[in-house]
Amino acid sequence: MATPIIMPKFGQMTEESAIVEWLKKEGDTIAKGDILFTVETDKSVMDVESFEAGTLLKIAVKPGVSVPVQSTVGFLGKPGEAIPEITAPAPAAPKPGAQASVPARPEKTDKRASLEAGAPVVSTAPIAPPPQAPATPSLFRISPRAAALAKHSVIDATRIKGTGPEGRVVEKDVRNYLQQHGYDKLRISPAAKELAAKEKLDVLAIQGTGEAGRISVADVQRAIAEQPKPMSKMRQIIGQRLTQSVVTAPHFYVTVEVDMTGLVAFRAQLKEKGLPYTVTDFISQAVVLTLKEFPEANSSTDGKTTRWNSRVHLGVAVSLEQGLVVPVIRNADELTLGELNTRAKELADKARAGRLAPDEMSGSTFTISNMGMLDVENFTAIINTGEAAILAVSSAIRKPVVRDDKIVIRSIMKITLSSDHRIIDGALAAKFANAVKQKLEDIELWKLLTS
Amino acid sequence: METFDIVVIGAGPGGYPAAIRAAQLGASVAIVEKEQLGGTCLNWGCIPTKALIAASDVFAKIKHAAAFGITVKDATVDYAAMIGHKNKVVSQLQGGIKHLLTANGVKQFAGTAAFKDRNTIEITAKDGVTLIGAKKTIIATGSTSAVPGFIPQHERVVESRAFLEITKLPETLIVLGGGFIGCELACMAAQLGVKVTVVELLEDILLLLDPDVRREVRAQMEKNLGIRVLTGKALADIKADAQGVTGKCGEEILKADLLLSAVGRKPVTGALKLENAGLKTNERGFIEVDDYGRTKVAAIFAIGDVTGKTQLAHYATSQGVVAAENACGRKPHKNETLVPNVIFTVPEVGTVGLSEDDAKKQGRAVVTGKFRFGGLGRALAVNETAGFVKWIADAATDQLLGAAAVGAHATELVAEAALAIRSELTVQELGRTIHAHPTFGEAWMEAAHAVHGDCLHAPPKLKR
Repeated sequence: MATPIIMPKFGQMTEESAIVEWLKKEGDTIAKGDILFTVETDKSVMDVESFEAGTLLKIAVKPGVSVPVQSTVGFLGKPGEAIPEITAPAPAAPKPGAQASVPARPEKTDKRASLEAGAPVVSTAPIAPPPQAPATPSLFRISPRAAALAKHSVIDATRIKGTGPEGRVVEKDVRNYLQQHGYDKLRISPAAKELAAKEKLDVLAIQGTGEAGRISVADVQRAIAEQPKPMSKMRQIIGQRLTQSVVTAPHFYVTVEVDMTGLVAFRAQLKEKGLPYTVTDFISQAVVLTLKEFPEANSSTDGKTTRWNSRVHLGVAVSLEQGLVVPVIRNADELTLGELNTRAKELADKARAGRLAPDEMSGSTFTISNMGMLDVENFTAIINTGEAAILAVSSAIRKPVVRDDKIVIRSIMKITLSSDHRIIDGALAAKFANAVKQKLEDIELWKLLTS
Repeated sequence: METFDIVVIGAGPGGYPAAIRAAQLGASVAIVEKEQLGGTCLNWGCIPTKALIAASDVFAKIKHAAAFGITVKDATVDYAAMIGHKNKVVSQLQGGIKHLLTANGVKQFAGTAAFKDRNTIEITAKDGVTLIGAKKTIIATGSTSAVPGFIPQHERVVESRAFLEITKLPETLIVLGGGFIGCELACMAAQLGVKVTVVELLEDILLLLDPDVRREVRAQMEKNLGIRVLTGKALADIKADAQGVTGKCGEEILKADLLLSAVGRKPVTGALKLENAGLKTNERGFIEVDDYGRTKVAAIFAIGDVTGKTQLAHYATSQGVVAAENACGRKPHKNETLVPNVIFTVPEVGTVGLSEDDAKKQGRAVVTGKFRFGGLGRALAVNETAGFVKWIADAATDQLLGAAAVGAHATELVAEAALAIRSELTVQELGRTIHAHPTFGEAWMEAAHAVHGDCLHAPPKLKR
């Protein structure tokens, strides 16, 4: 009987993978160490070798189809050997159009099957760790008496290993468990026990701080406070997006110091004239101008293609109590400094009031994150997925610097460009960051733009 | 210069137990007291007032003895003799403290203590100045009556300490301040036949109590003792002369032989020279401490009234023991947080834990159960049927959160409630605990049943 070829698991997080290309055809003779096929994971394309010799009897999964890891993707054996039928459902729901995907089969069963058939023992492709028992957890079974005792004892019965039929937890198991865990020595105040029962906590997992380790209400309240709490949808989405970005886009960082002394003074002058530009406005304008010089920085990539965005939709990260939102100034390349100021203020107000429309929070092509008001020396930002770079703006801090071989006090602001190395190389990032710096330091430019 | 492991400043109900506890733990201990051993509690507070209140209770019982079939004719009050009884009790207890301190090897210094630096205490006495070294210091200087500036200085105007020194009761008395000190002394005087008026600026007397509890106290003070209680009113234009004291209360002019000012207490820190130790009092004049009794200076602890927490002798004692143990390097433990509160008015009050109002303010689902003494066989037998006990519990977990007792023996009854609440018992467990019959304590059991609506000795509540 043939042995299955298993889709290996390349990373902790990998749940599905697709075969890019089969390098062998059905009927080919396979030597140990031959590359059978290549696999596309989230990060890269990997070669999959055969750990055994034989004949490729069947290709069950065609290239380009995503299947759960540990699935059978083909069969190896002797020519003419029977190929097992594949009937059990896949452990993970296949993506649409993945009808050809092949479900997992526990390796053990197959091994045993081949032994029983008296066929030579041919090991299965052992690139993958031995497949575990079916991924779906087995049903927790407990007898009513055991459940009642566990409930009365205020413990988590699912931690108990059952010895009854099909692993059912029976009363004896609960009693043994309680004894093993020193339940008779547990000291807990009556009210603490009531509270733990109400909150469905396991009293054995609560640390008592009262006399002789007695668990008090305060201890239970501490345990309640330490219970995992669901993250807000907003935080979950932020987390997913940032994780996706960090995992897929290779970040690197370039920091330059901007001498803001002139612009700070100029801004004060403008303010006296009734023109309330913010530092972010100047930075936004400088970035928009720089993006015209370096179109790569206003692009996006999926890893295979790059796409240049003809328009600049500028995301400006705004910190809220509930999390972070990035309102988007559309067509920022068409706006004057004054218009940028007005639009940025509108969006920031809306963001704080929680009234941003969905299209005001999406579609940015480049993002600025300004922590200048938070008194930071320097920081790096994570690129918004789908963009090529993000500019992190730190506080302008008065410090000694060397000018014309003299030490003088200037307002220095660090800006750090995080770039997606797939699109932007170091030299380009350096040029970009310095171009922004030069613009911010060029007071004549701002005089022109505000006159 | 003699140096001690622990120096305690103040020998009141916080200081002397702290000194004894530290000595028990093997420390060399000194205690400094500028007046009398026992502090305010023993000399001018808890104990002397209880001696006088007990005497007035006996007189009241004699007057009401007819209900038991006992006729006593011509019972009279010799107030000077009552003061004599009080002084005898005080002096006996003072001797007791002195004996205990000496027996535990605590060196006693008479004089006023001040910090010379963090580890040096300067003791000023009549006969000179002594310097002692202190590895650790426990400040237990207590509090004193706060007398507002608008009250004239006159022999007819006294605060609680001076009130306990007078040997002849006035015929009429105005008590300014409806807190527990004012109310206790008002009840004591009224039971001895003084016509008493209590004036309280706030909306009610004994405002820390739940409304139902203070209503019970106020009703009995007014009805049984004939005390006039004026609330929500200030006493203005206070004048005192040889004829008496007058004050304007609203539209009315109040007149009396004596005015007792009982409007609060202030911490005693003036002589300590805290700045030499790097310590400061807070804006209210108290020395701030953490849960372990530590001040901001590592070598200095503070306990009792001067810390501005609950100003009660028994809390000071508990704080003193905790501070002594922590100062002696025992495994640090925190101050207790559950402090019973007892008021020796007529009727007495005892409370512990959360009041109903406080529990509700915490946003809990609160249930209460009440049982009146009138339903107790014992209370009827001894003719003390006024009052009730009440449990305050958490509806979600059945936990006992607070208790209040008002009526005869309430100050004794509260001990059971304190133990139950500190042990975090549930209402059900308290209700299942067998209480001896016939006693006043049965009321707790009945009130616990009442929380769940299954009280045996009260008719079922009408179903809505």
